[in-house]
Amino acid sequence: MSLTDGKDPKGNFKPQDAPRYDDVLQCMRCGFCLPTCPTYALTGRERSSPRGRVALARAVAEEKLEFTPAIREEAFFCLDCRACTTACPSGVRAGEVMEVCRSQSQAFYPLGKAGKAFRAFVLEKMLPSPGMLETSMLPTRLYQRLGIQWMVRHLKVLKLGPDWMEKAEGMLPRLEPPLRPQLPETVPARGEKRGRVGFFLGCVMTLMYPGVSRQTVKVLSSQGFEVVTPKQTKCCGAPHLSEGDRETARQLALFNLDLFLDRDVDAILTDCAGCGAALKEYEELLEGRAEKEKLALFRGKIRDVSEFLAEVGLRTDELKPVDATVTYHEPCHLCHAQGISKQPRGLIRQIPGVELREMKESSWCCGSAATWGLKFSEESRQVLDRKLTNVRETNAEFLITANPGCHLQLAWGVREGGMKQQVMHIMELLGKAVPD
Amino acid sequence: MISKTAIDHLVGNLGPKNVLHEKEDLLVLGYDSTPGVHHLPEVVVYPTCLEQVLFALEIARREGLPIVPRGSGTGLSGGSVPVEGGMVVCLTRMNRILEIDEENLTATCEAGVVTLDLFNAAAEKGLFYPPDPGSQKVSTLGGNIAENAGGLRGLKYGVTRDYVMALKGVLADGGLIQTGGKAVKDVAGYSFRDLMVGSEGTLGLITEVTVKLIPPPQAKRTFLAYFDDIRTAGEAVSRIIAARIIPATLEIMDRMTINCVEDYAGIGLPRQMAALLLIEVDGHPAVVAEEAEAVEKVLREVKAAEVHAARGEAEAASLAAARRTALSALARVSPTTILEDATVARSHLAETFGEIERLTKKYQLKVGTFGHAGDGNLHPTALADERDAEEMKRVHAFFDELYEFVLARGGTVSGEHGIGLAKKTYLARQIGEGGVKVMKRIKQAFDPQGILNPGKIFDEGDPCTRPDVEEGFRVSH
Repeated sequence: MSLTDGKDPKGNFKPQDAPRYDDVLQCMRCGFCLPTCPTYALTGRERSSPRGRVALARAVAEEKLEFTPAIREEAFFCLDCRACTTACPSGVRAGEVMEVCRSQSQAFYPLGKAGKAFRAFVLEKMLPSPGMLETSMLPTRLYQRLGIQWMVRHLKVLKLGPDWMEKAEGMLPRLEPPLRPQLPETVPARGEKRGRVGFFLGCVMTLMYPGVSRQTVKVLSSQGFEVVTPKQTKCCGAPHLSEGDRETARQLALFNLDLFLDRDVDAILTDCAGCGAALKEYEELLEGRAEKEKLALFRGKIRDVSEFLAEVGLRTDELKPVDATVTYHEPCHLCHAQGISKQPRGLIRQIPGVELREMKESSWCCGSAATWGLKFSEESRQVLDRKLTNVRETNAEFLITANPGCHLQLAWGVREGGMKQQVMHIMELLGKAVPD
Repeated sequence: MISKTAIDHLVGNLGPKNVLHEKEDLLVLGYDSTPGVHHLPEVVVYPTCLEQVLFALEIARREGLPIVPRGSGTGLSGGSVPVEGGMVVCLTRMNRILEIDEENLTATCEAGVVTLDLFNAAAEKGLFYPPDPGSQKVSTLGGNIAENAGGLRGLKYGVTRDYVMALKGVLADGGLIQTGGKAVKDVAGYSFRDLMVGSEGTLGLITEVTVKLIPPPQAKRTFLAYFDDIRTAGEAVSRIIAARIIPATLEIMDRMTINCVEDYAGIGLPRQMAALLLIEVDGHPAVVAEEAEAVEKVLREVKAAEVHAARGEAEAASLAAARRTALSALARVSPTTILEDATVARSHLAETFGEIERLTKKYQLKVGTFGHAGDGNLHPTALADERDAEEMKRVHAFFDELYEFVLARGGTVSGEHGIGLAKKTYLARQIGEGGVKVMKRIKQAFDPQGILNPGKIFDEGDPCTRPDVEEGFRVSH
């Protein structure tokens, strides 16, 4: 194969959703990513490092390698934490290359009938439909209410099942009814009005952490913003990208794009780092599928809630003191995928009475990474232990984060490890300082 | 090709995790940071102790496999690329710091210890390990020694060689070599230690090293000086040295580099300037104050456009960190970055910059230049696209002519990256046929069968008669 044939040779990749050849060629193999990669730290194996993964993708593009099961394995073993993107001086985005390879995996290795049906059910039916999701959680809530949860946990019944089931069960927080149906579509601004914002209420937030997003809305409203939360909001598409189903992700993205642009809001905010990262990537995901101007307009409005509050300036005159020592864990999809690192710290420091104690390696992944923590439960445990050791050293009372995936994993780890820290979303902490 | 039995033996002794032979693994263990060189090994082993190293080497000898030592694969001359296939011996899992001897001010480490880890461990005891190659966060001591790596502090503190006190390693025949010790002086016979440093894995496989540590400087001052013309920056460097000041760091970046680094690091570097110098003086506070003043005086005399003093340690550290990313940051611009390592006497710096500018125009290339100006060690880096054969030809012509210029002025073709695969022809030009012959005889004495890292530094025999490991991967130029 001559590499000068055509601008973007796909080689042994399937043409649909393949890594761009220029993107893999960009890596000059300096290895600066190696010390930042959690899977390389675990295995010390080059193919499980960002540099190695990009080299594998390049080998496929250059027809030196078929898209073998080992590449599929690496595509899913990559946490997609994007720490390598932050570390890479050359601007290589190994995490995104692997995300695209996940999509290739589905094309090369289609699932069996049962797997396909289950996948289609979750990704194509449940997640795109907020109503169905909320009803499906009903039995889970009942199950918790009836105390079966207590029995199952104590009798270790679930030990019989596969590991991940047990972990998933153990991770579930005590569930309250979903937030979406309860939240008014428009919540008025309090005090002097500063603007009108759209709130992208993520699936995991409404289902697992309704209390957190309630605080987000309260904080925004008290900061002088009218908060519009469209009830029809669909999943952001992050789970689909993570599972390699880019087509469904595109359909969801197209829907959300129009939904929010129609609301004529100054900014579109989310309190879920995973959603935020996905929303900020709509521009690339929908390239050629939606008008450029529309995509740019949408991209220009998307903010993580911490990013937004830091940008407009926190009104601190009404804040009540919160007597607490806290440490901050940076969600990968906030600090690495969105480059938001200083802003949450700034907000925390502005809350009167709060002492921020920096932990070591605050931007090292917690090992949750969407379903990674369930697929690779042993490895996830090791990544989590590294994080918890650093948390323990701070001796802070609260462990602050800003993403539901991290929240689930950290809360589980803290509980299992018998640690004193209470895990809290940054908006919950801020909510404590805001009068009701 | 390595036999199935040999693989089984290796797995049996080293454990399955420490023996890799699947294509996906081999594919990613046949490169380093040098562009255009990529060759597949037949097997890769990760010994965790000396006994496993000896066992793996025994298997390699039995199978007739070339042996190629490797650290983290951050080299810039192809030293760890298995150009003739064989067994790659990756030392990264021998990474224990065995001792920090506070009485003798030494540290003893396994070869796979990461450079920065040693620096930090020494700093915890109030000691200082100065060599700091750009890749210090990743590179291993074994690799640093094999390539005799330099760094930002080379000007005042010297390079890796200046800190190696003792080495332990394995020779081609499986014999152990131990050379040097903690004694500060040692003139007993030939200095094998000095021969091993910079030998690029062609004489023996280094497994353990004892390095010298020194007390850290008590004070530091860091400056950034901006220039409208890169030659003025070169002149400033020559004048600082002529004023008998030896800064710890005296680094240069040209406009292209400044912009690439700023794109990545975003620390407010001046994008419009032709060049900047990063200058750090350190030592006793009184001396630092004196030297800082003298440096500022020189900068005023040569009419630097602006001079800024770093506010505090944190800012100084972020400037040095940003400088370390220069090469990788330049890689943002184009798919292929080809950097060189030309070094001249410092009095020739200004004219060398002029020559780089002239050649850049002549060959119509995009070139970013940075480097250790205080050492006369420059890294002109061509920003090219390996898919464009015609452009690559111009790149090679550019470097050819530049090296002619450098050699005519008594310079060297490699200040700190080594010869490896990339610069064999230039080495012959520098030291002559006679020089290469002596080097080959030394190699013969250590490794008569030529199984240790063959094909590096100089060619043994006709490269065309060597067996191809796998057609299609032989892309080196």
